[in-house]
Amino acid sequence: MPFSYGSRQSISRSFLGEFRPSLFLAEAMPLKWVLQWQPNPGTTVNSQILAEVSQCVEGINGVKEGRWKATLTYYKPILRDQAMSPEMPRDFIGMSLPEQPNKYYFTLRSHRIVVESDVSVQNIMEKLQSYKSRVALIFEGFQYQLGDFQLRVGKVVPSHSENLRGIVMEVEYLPISSLEKSRQIMEEFIDIWQEALSKRSLPGHFIHVEPNFSEYGLSDHYTSQHTAVQYATVMAQLIASAQAVSTVRN
Amino acid sequence: MQQQPTAQVASPPNPAPPTPPPASESRSEAPPKQVALAMDRLSQAARLIADVRLGADRILEALFVAAQPHQSTKPLQSFNKEDASMRQHLQDLRAVGKLLEESGVLNESLRSRSNSWGLHMPLVCPDGAVVAYAWKRQLAGQAGASAVDRTRLALKAFTDQKRRFFPHLDDGLNGQSLEAEPKRHCGSRVSIAIQEDDRNNYKTLSDVLIYMEKEMPNVKVFTHGRLDWLKRASSLPSSANENLIEASKEHSFHSLNRLRPSSVGTVSVNTDKVAVIELLVPSVFRAIISLHPAGSVDPDAVAFFSPDEGGSYVHARGHSVHHVFRHITDHAAMALQYLVGVKAETALLSLLHWISSYQTLFTKVCSKCGRLLSMDTRSALLLPPVHRPYMDTLVSSMKDQSTNLSQAYHLGCYTERT
Repeated sequence: MPFSYGSRQSISRSFLGEFRPSLFLAEAMPLKWVLQWQPNPGTTVNSQILAEVSQCVEGINGVKEGRWKATLTYYKPILRDQAMSPEMPRDFIGMSLPEQPNKYYFTLRSHRIVVESDVSVQNIMEKLQSYKSRVALIFEGFQYQLGDFQLRVGKVVPSHSENLRGIVMEVEYLPISSLEKSRQIMEEFIDIWQEALSKRSLPGHFIHVEPNFSEYGLSDHYTSQHTAVQYATVMAQLIASAQAVSTVRN
Repeated sequence: MQQQPTAQVASPPNPAPPTPPPASESRSEAPPKQVALAMDRLSQAARLIADVRLGADRILEALFVAAQPHQSTKPLQSFNKEDASMRQHLQDLRAVGKLLEESGVLNESLRSRSNSWGLHMPLVCPDGAVVAYAWKRQLAGQAGASAVDRTRLALKAFTDQKRRFFPHLDDGLNGQSLEAEPKRHCGSRVSIAIQEDDRNNYKTLSDVLIYMEKEMPNVKVFTHGRLDWLKRASSLPSSANENLIEASKEHSFHSLNRLRPSSVGTVSVNTDKVAVIELLVPSVFRAIISLHPAGSVDPDAVAFFSPDEGGSYVHARGHSVHHVFRHITDHAAMALQYLVGVKAETALLSLLHWISSYQTLFTKVCSKCGRLLSMDTRSALLLPPVHRPYMDTLVSSMKDQSTNLSQAYHLGCYTERT
């Protein structure tokens, strides 16, 4: 919607002036926190926990609405000189989100980069053969409506197996799109959620690691790029915990 | 009345309508004549309908009299007479109706005709209104007007007339009723009188807007004409623009400062057309207040929305898709009724002031339970405190933030309290 910058006519038309700078930004979306399951030390995640979590959502009056699915792919570069590959970033991630079927999101966490592109970019990558998929993960599960909150509970599985690697949960508050304005509400919701969940005595709890969005050049208004960054952070945390477990074992 | 195919007992004199010209002839008439004929027929039909009504009354009367004991044959005669004339009326009505149908009055079949001289046949609209020329209705902005619109227009006409012919009954919106005010205030507490004097300084719409700009800097106030608002609503959400406005607030403030001296002169002219006030607290809510009549300080509807919502349903009588804002809208409707009922001339100011208290909607905890979110048992929803008291806004000082206006309650917490 282009508006002329500082238009005098619009100022005379209304009392305080409706002049709006003309610039197009992505439409703001409701904000979302992505939580992940942190198993207690010495335990692993299993599908029983997933079932309990789903039941808990329904216990706080969540209404099951449908399924959701997101995919995440780790890319590795295809180099002629394979000796160079250790120097290349290993956290180049591509992600597709269910709320944006026409988009594909790239993150490079080590360099704090996130890019939104068209879903057809995958065709180009395929043709160029510059980057290939190293590991592909699927997040899928059910979506629940809880008044103005929308919850998604999902399992994390590799794309070609049913081996449960983790559990994620998305908490979305529909009326607000500002991260700062919603912080208190989200924190209280998480408290309520944790309290409800603690009654089931599960071996673990949900954590929320908030990335520093401004480092990625993202603003207070929530967008799907924020979601992609949160998932990249979730993956980093998952890998870190898995490595910690394997270190303990060895 | 059941229509039975029996022969008429007598043929009473019926007021024979002038023989209508055959249908083919009417089509060769010039459009104005067609229109005049159609109008004639419509009034005929109206007369026939009146006759039918009267006839029905008489028939019922005859039946009633006949049911009484010891009667002569008089009721039977009058019944037969009425029955016959009723049938005749209905037949005539049917004939007139056919003619009207053929001439395109009951539907819009003639509208597509090209040589109608810009005139159209009179139209009987679905809600029963007869319009001589359909385009006249368009001109009057009533095309397809619904009952709500017609009521509103009627109310406006009535209010205008009342104001014109009975100014002493007015609520103080014109100068003549000022002497009535001290009578109302006598006996009230001094503190209230002081507060109300304070409020009385903000009588016109411009005053109210100036107050809001001074006292509520976090709340952006925009005014619109009614049609302008429809356009703007459809072009929302413009959250991107809000973001940039926050970033460029410095710039806008300075330019507004520069413009203010000159814009004050234009304010009084432009507030005449203001019918919608939009209050926006960025990232928190957008409230729409409708004024009726335009340019006045009489609010007649209010609704709350998310600042990201947009579309033609965003208006003072619309409802948000979000539960939290729907609940606040319901609450605001009650507040509006209360404020208008208690003291109409400061209702707008109090309302805007009360609405502005919602800028802490997502941060202020409930004054009863101390939490932000609470599960409302009736709706099984998690909601922030949507209830802010409006009843004491007249008593408390408008500048004092620590009194009732800054209290908030969950739905459940408030009902427990009262």
